[in-house]
Amino acid sequence: MPHSASAHPSPQASGPEPATGAVRLGRIRLRDFRNFERLECELPAEGVMILGSNGAGKTNLLEAVYYLEVFRSFRGASDRELVRFGQEVFRVEATVEGPRGERTIAAAYSAAERRKQVEVDRREVSRLSDAIGGLGAVVFSLEDVEIVRGSPSGRRRFMDILLSLVEPGYVDALGKYRSVLSQRNEALKGGADRAQLEAWSAGLIEVGARVMEARARWVAGRAAAFDHYHSRIAGGARGVLGYRPSLGAPAGRAAAASDDEASAEGRPPSRAAWAEAFRAALERTRERERRRGVTVVGPHRDELAFTAQVGGEEERDLRTYGSGGQQRTAALALRLAEADTLRERLGREPVYLLDDVFAELDRERSGRLLQLLEEGRSGQVVLTSPKPSEVRLRGGLDVWRLRDGRLES
Amino acid sequence: MSAIEDLITELGRLPGVGRKTAQRLAYHLLKTPPGEARQLSRAIDRVVDEVHACSTCGNLSDSDPCEFCSDARRDGAVLCVVEEASDITAVEKSGHFDGVYHVLGGRLSPLDGMGPDDLNITALLTRLRGGVREVILATNPSVEGEATATYLHRLLRDLEGVRITRLARGLPVGGDLEYADGVTIAEAFTGRRDM
Repeated sequence: MPHSASAHPSPQASGPEPATGAVRLGRIRLRDFRNFERLECELPAEGVMILGSNGAGKTNLLEAVYYLEVFRSFRGASDRELVRFGQEVFRVEATVEGPRGERTIAAAYSAAERRKQVEVDRREVSRLSDAIGGLGAVVFSLEDVEIVRGSPSGRRRFMDILLSLVEPGYVDALGKYRSVLSQRNEALKGGADRAQLEAWSAGLIEVGARVMEARARWVAGRAAAFDHYHSRIAGGARGVLGYRPSLGAPAGRAAAASDDEASAEGRPPSRAAWAEAFRAALERTRERERRRGVTVVGPHRDELAFTAQVGGEEERDLRTYGSGGQQRTAALALRLAEADTLRERLGREPVYLLDDVFAELDRERSGRLLQLLEEGRSGQVVLTSPKPSEVRLRGGLDVWRLRDGRLES
Repeated sequence: MSAIEDLITELGRLPGVGRKTAQRLAYHLLKTPPGEARQLSRAIDRVVDEVHACSTCGNLSDSDPCEFCSDARRDGAVLCVVEEASDITAVEKSGHFDGVYHVLGGRLSPLDGMGPDDLNITALLTRLRGGVREVILATNPSVEGEATATYLHRLLRDLEGVRITRLARGLPVGGDLEYADGVTIAEAFTGRRDM
């Protein structure tokens, strides 16, 4: 079926609706973060292009900013690795004009005390999960292709980070799920009887259903947008984003009696339906989990599937059959869908942190991505590049040069 | 090993006491008048000799049965099940409970090697045979405490005439809604009651 905007009247599929405003990063202050000894700068409202050779610290700067969104490194580095060589403590601070007015978000980590401290408006936050997502930013990085190409755990990690940002209670449900799972696996290894296993299953099902319901709802809600962005960047080829729960999806709630495309597929299953399906799956796998000594079904085994038309043929799994360029396209479409999710949650445009993303794209894809980042999107942009490029965003960004952890404007 | 070293090593075994603190405590004891240090050592001797688990409820006490089990004014038909003897102090402080206790001596936690056989459950079942009306499961609202409560609930639910309840979770009294964390507020919503 040829893709046309009119076939998908929903705002998700026809590009984002203009947001009423945008999150604006103002002053950024770093101390002993990666290769920055001290850095203080004031970002222009539209954003900035940061030029610098390899090792100058471009990605480190984006890593520092995004640290204030998730309070960990988006590159998977440990907090200790973020402390500048030979130092004990790093600190990152930024002022943000966002949905909750102007706020100062700060995070510090002490390697000696192994302690992380997060402050909002100079007031220490006792639970990290309450401060998470307070910035409102999305990172596009060259490593994103690993989400599509790499192991399933990377795809679960993507869903978990995003849902932690936008879904109240998700972080806590996930944390609890992990604790119950490791207790339950230990009980299985020790040959615990059925009554004991069921005591752990009860908790596993309760929080596991919460996790799966949120994941399924997100994927169902963003599949059309993903398809749209994918076909735009690829120049026509449709892309399908699918949630593959390890226990098989329960039946969705009854669809409304209408021909409307959205309701024809039915609404995603309720949390209770997920709980019931999880309970049945645990029952089904009782023998297998006992033999193997681990819980074999549940959200810890979930998958996210990316399929697309490859070479005009039928849809195929991009992880196995996609070329590097096709995998990259899917990763970009995924980040754009993430940006839409954040916009909806924040009620305004998130900050776009673009880490050298145009480098590995051909001219056509690069141009189409640029278009997508401009159409209806007014968010502040921090774009890094090793050399001056023709990329023009937001009517031409200011250019800053970064050398050995110092800015030269 | 010198006497001082010996003392530092022993103090260092205490929970929450590292080597540095153990040293500080040891030298502090050396500087205090000998009478005071002896008082501490006698107090330790006494608890070791005189405090035992109550044979009825498992509470730590210097009498058996303990002061709660032997108190005729308390309602022996309502049983509050707690993880540790120290939890009793917390419940007592509320002044709100006049039943009796049952101490499990821990909670289910396979990662710490704790299974049902390591908990004081057999004695609980024996007690329930004699005229108990209600069992309040007051294990902690942690992952392990919840699993322990679930396990006990399944074990006890078929007992005739015994009501099984679980402590409510929600907002701390005197706290500001604004400063409560998301999870606590969510729990409070789930557990809201009619007015």
